[in-house]
Amino acid sequence: MLLLAILAIPLAAGALSFTARNRRGMEMINVGGFVALLLLAAVLATQVLRAGAVSMWDGFLAADSLSALVVLLTAFVALACSVYAVGYFREDERNHVFESDVLKPAAISSVRKYYSLTPLFVFAMLLVALANNLGVMWVAIEATTLASVFLISFYGRATSIEAAWKYTMIGGVGLSMALFGTILTYYSAHHVLETETLAGLNWSVLVVHASQFDKTTMKLAFILILLGYGTKAGIAPMHTWKPDAYSEAPVPVAAMLAAAVLNCALYGLIRFYVLTNRCLGPQFASQLLIIFGLLSVGVAVPFVLVQKSFRRLLAYSSIDHGGIMILGLGFGGALGALGMLLHLTFHSITKPLLFFCAGNVEQHQKTDLFRRAKGGVIHAMPVSGPIFLMATLAVTGTPPFSMFQSEFTILRAGFGGSYIGPAILLIVLLVAIFIGFLVHIARLVLGADPGLPPGDSCPWKKYSLICLAGLVLILGFWLPAPLFGLIQDAARVVGAQP
Amino acid sequence: MYFFEDPQFGNRMITLMAAFVLVLQIAMVGQRWLVTNIRVFAAQSFLLAGIANTIAFFNHAPHLYVAAFLTCVLKGIVLPVLLERLVKRIDIGQEIAPIVNVPLSLLISGGLTTVGYVVAESFHHPEGAASPASLGRNTLAVAVSLFLIGFFMMISRRKAIMQVLALLSLENGLFLAAISLTYGMPLIVELGIFFDLLVAVMVLGILVYRIQETFDSMDVTKLSKLRG
Repeated sequence: MLLLAILAIPLAAGALSFTARNRRGMEMINVGGFVALLLLAAVLATQVLRAGAVSMWDGFLAADSLSALVVLLTAFVALACSVYAVGYFREDERNHVFESDVLKPAAISSVRKYYSLTPLFVFAMLLVALANNLGVMWVAIEATTLASVFLISFYGRATSIEAAWKYTMIGGVGLSMALFGTILTYYSAHHVLETETLAGLNWSVLVVHASQFDKTTMKLAFILILLGYGTKAGIAPMHTWKPDAYSEAPVPVAAMLAAAVLNCALYGLIRFYVLTNRCLGPQFASQLLIIFGLLSVGVAVPFVLVQKSFRRLLAYSSIDHGGIMILGLGFGGALGALGMLLHLTFHSITKPLLFFCAGNVEQHQKTDLFRRAKGGVIHAMPVSGPIFLMATLAVTGTPPFSMFQSEFTILRAGFGGSYIGPAILLIVLLVAIFIGFLVHIARLVLGADPGLPPGDSCPWKKYSLICLAGLVLILGFWLPAPLFGLIQDAARVVGAQP
Repeated sequence: MYFFEDPQFGNRMITLMAAFVLVLQIAMVGQRWLVTNIRVFAAQSFLLAGIANTIAFFNHAPHLYVAAFLTCVLKGIVLPVLLERLVKRIDIGQEIAPIVNVPLSLLISGGLTTVGYVVAESFHHPEGAASPASLGRNTLAVAVSLFLIGFFMMISRRKAIMQVLALLSLENGLFLAAISLTYGMPLIVELGIFFDLLVAVMVLGILVYRIQETFDSMDVTKLSKLRG
């Protein structure tokens, strides 16, 4: 029942927002819905921790600790984004963003588009985590793409249509590879299970028999899955849609893409990774993951160093973090899995903060180009400025912030698993990204007072920022025991040896 | 026993239809007219439905009849009609103007078909004669070829609608792979895929319309403002 309620809430919120009369109603429905969702996700997490996996409808929907973690993070990101979105779109309306062109629809219908598509988008992400059947999971991941296309083309500019087109096409091609991989997995299991029912694609069934699967087929399947879900996660060299989509979408949507969709895509990859490991041993998947992981972190470096726009800078940061997580998975073992999931968790909490800061600065200065933005943000925006700097430090993995811990864990897994070369390379690349990031953001935030009118006046934007910043700060020093228990438990699902 | 109940006959029919599917795919590469291409895609989908029906009949896999019916209705009728209406509505020049010229495209498609056969060979286990792969060894090769040629069409065509069509034919390849390897995915998954496909074409249709409106052209190589 709980699983059904978790799926039903965003659907209901989407339908209600679609029929709501005014903007205020839609805002309240979204925020309220996501508060309820976060509560239910927390209930699910405690239930899974206490009594093990939950399932319903003959195992059609199922949640183990890994699913519960992803559901919890998705719900958290959705809530943070919906609170921020209230302030963000009100500011947009004050800036007359929606009325600059006759062709563009009026404000209310634009806002309605956001408030009714976002819950659908969240629903698809939740279904990814809760579907036990790998085929249904694929359908849900494709649905996340389809639900977010019009959120990316939201502003209707030529560039945002270009971004949406690239997002859909590259995503579509990538996911078709993932579907091929799913078909091949089904085929390699087909001989063993001798079943043509739905259960033949249920992960909980497959994982028991994975060691008997056809090995050649499984190899090909994993490569296709890695390419497919890797495209969705924005792993290099299939990352090209990411900077475009992140810089053109409204900030709350971009934050959701960066912090929640990434998790879902990696979640899909993890499920197949576990099957592949059981079938072929850890070596095969590890090598591929390390290559793609290092490539992603490496690709991000030059683009971070010479970046012109701070929204695109965040996209490259997200490619970099996707790469780090893939590396953690590739280094393998209990420690690698733990580091990867810690990083996933911390990243989902820290990344929205960075996006919100960038959004505040962009709305205040009306540009996202370093060239046009005036430095000294800190003078006009006494809240967003310092938090922007703090979030930058947190996201680049500076101690005491929590992402330092997770990156450290991943590196330890690398050294412990005798992947010394890749681990050293990772350190070098991370330092380069840290320097590039800090130089750009420090130049933007610090500096002489340009004499702009004071910003940070909207309470919704201000307090969502302050609360999130507080959370990031606390997480640096204290990780609540139940959350850590959930992550450890999920790491056991990922790293378990047969 | 009637001749059409003989599994050998079924096998030959499947091979024949699969061959036609491949021929149509290559015809799509060689075609210069947009509307014709959409109709070729429709014909290909009907043939796929035929293959699915035959496999369902000989292997007693009733859920495949449903998939075959949906393929007929959705990919054979609904999607082509939607795409043709889109073409009429935006009233674009009908010629495709590919990035790679037609003779070279055909040559590359031939090469990709060979690759398809090589890949499919690795799935052939002579000892497991009862496995579905023995039924459709050629079918799998055709499926992989469709997939690869679909990829090639995506990168070598300028017009946005042509890319949508390439994505759809790529999906046709996947459907063929699924039915020739495992008698199709479970029905619920298949339904989900069909639903996604329908929504995807609608979403892409709207985007194509917006591209035409904004750029006064459907040439996706003009979508190149975002860099770095």
